[in-house]
Amino acid sequence: MHTYTFGQSDEQAMIRDTCARMLRPFESRHQEFERSLAQEGRVPEEFWQAMTEAGLLGAFIPEAYGGTAMGLTAGATACDAMASKGFGHPLYLLTSMDALCIANAGSDAVKDKFLPKIATGEIKMAFAITEANAGTNSFRMTTRAKRAGDHFVLDGEKTFITGIDQSDYVMVIARTRSRDEIKSAGLPKTACLSVFVVDSHAPGVELTPLPMRAIEGARQFTVHFDAVKVPLENLVGEEHAGGAVMFSTLNPERILIAAGACGQTEYLLDRAIDYAGQRVVFGEKPIGAYQAIQHPLADLRIRIEAARGLTYKAAAAYDAKVDAAETGMYANMAKYLSTDLAIDAADRAIQTHGGAGFSEDIGVIGYWERTRLMRTAPISKEMILNYVGEHILGLPRSY
Amino acid sequence: MKILVTVKRVPDPETSIKVKPDGTGIVTDNIKWVVNPFDEIGVEEALRIKEKVAGSEVVLVSIGDKVAQEQLRTGLAMGADRAILVLADDLDPLGVARVLAKLVDDEKPDLIIMGKQAIDDDSNAVGQMLAELLGWPQGTFASQIELSDDQKSASVTREVDGGLETLSFPLPGVITADLRLNEPRYASLPGIMKARKKELKEIPVADLGVDVTPRVTITKMEPPPSREAGKIVASVEELVNLLHTEAKVI
Ligand SMILES: Cc1cc2nc3c(=O)[nH]c(=O)nc-3n(C[C@H](O)[C@H](O)[C@H](O)COP(=O)(O)OP(=O)(O)OC[C@H]3O[C@@H](n4cnc5c(N)ncnc54)[C@H](O)[C@@H]3O)c2cc1C
Repeated sequence: MHTYTFGQSDEQAMIRDTCARMLRPFESRHQEFERSLAQEGRVPEEFWQAMTEAGLLGAFIPEAYGGTAMGLTAGATACDAMASKGFGHPLYLLTSMDALCIANAGSDAVKDKFLPKIATGEIKMAFAITEANAGTNSFRMTTRAKRAGDHFVLDGEKTFITGIDQSDYVMVIARTRSRDEIKSAGLPKTACLSVFVVDSHAPGVELTPLPMRAIEGARQFTVHFDAVKVPLENLVGEEHAGGAVMFSTLNPERILIAAGACGQTEYLLDRAIDYAGQRVVFGEKPIGAYQAIQHPLADLRIRIEAARGLTYKAAAAYDAKVDAAETGMYANMAKYLSTDLAIDAADRAIQTHGGAGFSEDIGVIGYWERTRLMRTAPISKEMILNYVGEHILGLPRSY
Repeated sequence: MKILVTVKRVPDPETSIKVKPDGTGIVTDNIKWVVNPFDEIGVEEALRIKEKVAGSEVVLVSIGDKVAQEQLRTGLAMGADRAILVLADDLDPLGVARVLAKLVDDEKPDLIIMGKQAIDDDSNAVGQMLAELLGWPQGTFASQIELSDDQKSASVTREVDGGLETLSFPLPGVITADLRLNEPRYASLPGIMKARKKELKEIPVADLGVDVTPRVTITKMEPPPSREAGKIVASVEELVNLLHTEAKVI
């Protein structure tokens, strides 16, 4: 489908090919793969192994730590390429953003400890920032880490944490001073957050599964931290300076999500085109001849080009170390455009399939929830509009 | 041991090909290009030999347009050591064989592995011509290759009509790869990364001083006639009946 790739290097074309080849043995078992996501709530382990063998996990890791440092453009290309064939791994996104965070902000000790194992696929990671009373407004978080000799002690509760049951470690954002202390010291609300890599199986970590429907292949949990000991070297960045570390991780997350959404759109569009070209309802012509079916699909095709353009621009800006504010602008815009597009693609793929669109065997219905999630999390569409309104247009903030 | 492997840029076998209205060739717009699948098998075999025989070098050769760099990079990303791109317009098989023979003079490989044919024009001629030009033994349509412990000779199992044939011959020699020789690996991200730094030398064909005047010209290309839709029959009896009365084959 993509022969002319403006701004895309030969290397990206090679990465797309690598992913396509890696997926080949899974493609003939796509239905079985989808069923195991839905029923077991996890992606088959052999898929992770295949991703590791293809070297996808090392893209974000410096060469000195066993990676390729190929960067976010390479990682986004892989997310996009996998999604365009109907595959993905939620822990790939999470582990990747954690790896980037450790590589960018971590001490030598924390890098030595985790990066080589991420590159070889030995460890998977989750990410925990959200709390029951701190979602959109992360600064309301109360999870607390206190220094005690050669370790920190972590207490608190995070919620909606994806895939922590499948993970070996979880990156946790916690307060290293309480909100009251910050207030009385006259510090900004962004102060005194810290980022930790926590063993998902450490004593004191308990999981309560949540009955959620959105991400097939990874479940969500409320995670209780009860006096969990975290070694000092597992701190990422300086103590109290985790706010900036955390923000630097959110841009790549948005870019990877945008890339995945572009790929999902391509997948859904391909499925819709196939069906629309074959299904005959009246006379001899397939339903794809009807403009009510055809035009919404043509519209998706146009918008994929636009969304990819912006997504890879954001990734290139990140890789070129353009300042975080500018990269953030592209990253947010790319996430906005791509995720709305993927939601429309799911809707239209279902519509094109008629009643079959609701069949689990056809498998497009699962995308209804999967794509819709992205309008809400990790950042909502409205918060992106707020951000653009305030920071780019320079208009007053409403909240 | 030094192994020379050919890598031709061809249209992806999954692309649908259209013939130009004037019949002079195919429409090259909007098609995806890949490494000729038989050559890819050749690259894989060379890499497997390299993994077994310490100190081996795998050198890729492509002849064609500058864009064939992409396919050479793919081969380098699979693990080959360096690549040579001879810049030339479309050559006929004898022209290709002569160019390769000249490169063999310069490179002095111990073994040449190539696809048994390129899936674009399906000539299935270059390997045989090259062996003849060099005066080297050849093992075509290889489904298995075994080298002697001292790497001085090769034993090649060939897929021939009605079975398998095994040949042994001293090296240097030319081997052409058949489909079942191996399952080629794909380039991993670390492989793609390493390929960035590998040598890819370009040589204009004129610099080689080889006569590449075509002996073969394509006079006309036509798409195969489109097939009519099949007929679905309800039962075996009906099938047998129709084969007898309509198709008249039984
Ligand atoms: C399936 C799933 C997986 C998740 N996985 C993870 C994970 O792995 N790790 C993790 O840390 N978190 C995870 N989350 C949490 C997710 O990031 C939060 O749900 C999200 O940030 C929203 O927070 P909230 O749920 O508290 O919504 P709230 O903050 O309560 O917001 C409610 C609504 O109000 C809107 N709103 C709030 N403020 C404004 C404003 N100023 N202007 C306009 N609208 C506003 C929001 O956009 C939203 O629509 C996950 C969530 C889901 C559903």
